[in-house]
Amino acid sequence: MISVKKVNNRPLNLLERIYLWEIARGLSVTTRHFFTNLFAPKNLLTVQYPEQKIPLPGNANLRTRHRLKVRADGSPKCVACFMCQTACPAYCIRIEAAEYTENSVEKYPAVFDIDLSRCVVCGMCVEACPEDAIAMDTGELPGGALDRGELLMTKESLLRNLPGEPSRKGAANRLANEYLKSRGEE
Amino acid sequence: MMEFFEANKDILLFTGAAVVKMALFLGAVMGFTALMTLAERKVSALMQDRIGPNRASVFGFAFNGLFQPIADAIKMILKEDFVPGRAEKLLFTLAPFFALVPVLALFAVIPFGDYVMVYGYQLELQVADLPLGLFFVLALSGLAIYGVFLGGWASKNNFALLGALRGAAQMVSYEVVLGLTLVGLMMIYGSASLQDMVRAQGGLLFGFVPAWGVVYQPFAFILFLIASTAENKRTPFDLVEGESEIIGYFMEYSSMRFAAFMFAEFIEIVLISMLIATLFFGGWQVPYLYETGFMFPGGTELPLNHYLVSAMQVGSFAAKTIFFSWFSLVVRWTLPRFRFDQMMGLCWKALLPLALLNILITGAVMLALGKL
Repeated sequence: MISVKKVNNRPLNLLERIYLWEIARGLSVTTRHFFTNLFAPKNLLTVQYPEQKIPLPGNANLRTRHRLKVRADGSPKCVACFMCQTACPAYCIRIEAAEYTENSVEKYPAVFDIDLSRCVVCGMCVEACPEDAIAMDTGELPGGALDRGELLMTKESLLRNLPGEPSRKGAANRLANEYLKSRGEE
Repeated sequence: MMEFFEANKDILLFTGAAVVKMALFLGAVMGFTALMTLAERKVSALMQDRIGPNRASVFGFAFNGLFQPIADAIKMILKEDFVPGRAEKLLFTLAPFFALVPVLALFAVIPFGDYVMVYGYQLELQVADLPLGLFFVLALSGLAIYGVFLGGWASKNNFALLGALRGAAQMVSYEVVLGLTLVGLMMIYGSASLQDMVRAQGGLLFGFVPAWGVVYQPFAFILFLIASTAENKRTPFDLVEGESEIIGYFMEYSSMRFAAFMFAEFIEIVLISMLIATLFFGGWQVPYLYETGFMFPGGTELPLNHYLVSAMQVGSFAAKTIFFSWFSLVVRWTLPRFRFDQMMGLCWKALLPLALLNILITGAVMLALGKL
């Protein structure tokens, strides 16, 4: 429902037209803020960002820095299908695909770079991933570096499982699992 | 050689003392002004519940932003010094000097203390005690218009020229009010020398109120405060520059030339704070403090060392200056900007008649008291 606020547009009275008393009232407000904040800077809302971090409010906490999930044998769950790279509106993902030599059904990312300086933290890559391989649940906030190079995340820095998370065995891909089963390697 | 020194002892001592005073006073003013550029951002930040700049650091020590003025200066020096192709090169170069020099020269007549005895030599704590100091102040602050106007005209940019026209109109108008508000003070003190005025404010009114200018002329004080803010081109009268929307007279300036205009404005805040302290708040006077020490109205006396008294007087002047500089910052970050017609109307239709009325009333009261 739209709330309506009635504004009282009455003509200014003499004291307000002289303006000086209103100036004094305005100054008292700003001066009060000045001295309150000068003697009690703890109350300031500013977060000194890279050094100081606060829990994000509400659903913003659902999307934090990316990670790539890892299988039990240490290989990435990612199959280099380029879905996330295609879905990314900020063009911050770069994938170079390669094939396993012993497993000609499945691909893996030889290069998986996310440029955090371009990432808009929209979560499209997570939505797009058919393998549930990329996730944004590390709880770390991206950004805040003194060097652009520090904001480039490579495959090595992305690959990790969260503590307590069981590594999935085998591939998520049905075809690959059938292939592995046919070779008795599951 | 020695004979030369002996023969010209007085003039050499005077020159040496003047140079030392200039170096100390101007150094203090410049240092304070550099801190003012930081204070402007810090004060505004605290008023708006923010923290303000605190990242500029030397070897990892930031001291809550204390090095920000140095960082700003280095940035300004390293910027490209751009001169528009069609600009009047000579005047374009001269304009920042015209903005800066009159403001700096004005500090010569500001008394920042009474006097100190150094090895039997009486050192007046004022660079130049001009008998017509107040007129010198008005004359030189009139010169500052040249900086604004030359800067706008020499850029050969129509927007800069319009900004300069606004600036010149505003400064000339408020110059009139500024001068007229001070007439009442000159009538009361019977002198235009700033040091005489401060000495006259050392007495007591009714035996306990310090006889400061603001007690005699409270109305002139308010008018002077308004007119000096307008003269300084600061909010709520910053239509000359209007940093967020309007384009000012120095829009073609970059690098240290721009910094000169900016710095002149900040020095002017300090100068106006000093003038307000000198004219209306007793300058270096501390209430009940005389040459020999404190003499309270109740009859209690507290004799003090001469050097302690001098230090307290200079400190009192510094404290008053700092307070009014801070006040100027608070005003700037509290009030919205006037419209140009409102500002000119305020000057010619309100402040000018009120200033004239103030002179009339002052004269009438003095006549009634038989002091004229």
